[in-house]
Amino acid sequence: MGDIASRLIEELNCETVFTIPILGGIDVYESVVVTWIISAILILLSVYFTRNLRVHNISKRQAVAELIVTKLMGMVKNMIGEEGEAFVPYLTTILLYIGFANIFGLFGFKPPTKDLNVTIALALMSIVLVEFAGLFRLGPKKWLHKFIEPLPIMAPFNILDIFTRPMSLCMRLFGNVLGAFVIMEMLKLVVPVIIPAVFSCYFDIFDGLLQAYVFVFLTSLYISEAIE
Amino acid sequence: MSSLAIGAGIAVLGALGAGIGIGIATGKATEAVARQPEASGDIRTTLILGCALAEATAIYCFVIALMVIIMLK
Repeated sequence: MGDIASRLIEELNCETVFTIPILGGIDVYESVVVTWIISAILILLSVYFTRNLRVHNISKRQAVAELIVTKLMGMVKNMIGEEGEAFVPYLTTILLYIGFANIFGLFGFKPPTKDLNVTIALALMSIVLVEFAGLFRLGPKKWLHKFIEPLPIMAPFNILDIFTRPMSLCMRLFGNVLGAFVIMEMLKLVVPVIIPAVFSCYFDIFDGLLQAYVFVFLTSLYISEAIE
Repeated sequence: MSSLAIGAGIAVLGALGAGIGIGIATGKATEAVARQPEASGDIRTTLILGCALAEATAIYCFVIALMVIIMLK
């Protein structure tokens, strides 16, 4: 029991891979390096899929690329509605990144979303996007007026929302990935063969993709609420 | 040490709410499918999404219990 507790703590703090020797040393964490790997994979995939695009006589590769793009963007567009179409590319990118990050544990990497810093950054990006979307779509006056809707007495709660929303976004993602990891570790301790593979399908693949979907769904919900 | 364990256990009690919530949601979804079997695809998507949101409560409990154990150690 003491063994697994110490392993948990060891897994919780993300270790530094190397330090960039400028400005007194910038620590580069493992999650950042894994994020670079994910970015490289995504960039290579998109370069591979988008070479030699044609209007007529499309190749098989282009058909696959079109299928992926239209399916993903259609899914996000369904969530956010017609008015928020400008945000669809950003949300699709976030969906792809979190989805890849969550299932990256299967390949022996540490999933970046298990680092609290990564999920905090994602949640902050979301809330900044939500607030600025409202500010630019509605104008400062209407945006400020949103805080006293439906009643002026609701103002403290509306302001509190700005802080609780990113908090719940980041904790949900982090807690899910970490919880899946802890349960898998305990399962491997009890039954080392076959059974973990079955549960890994649920915890690593299904739950990871579902959490990516939920993150994007909530962000698009907040955006469409802010710009209406 | 034992008081830490008790504290973490109490923190996880909040998972009760997630269980009740998902139970109610699933029950209603079953009713909805029984009433309108042709809409089962939409109902399933909504149910999974709702379950993932309701689960978050249990996840918060888990994170807090973990923090109690690790931070107060």
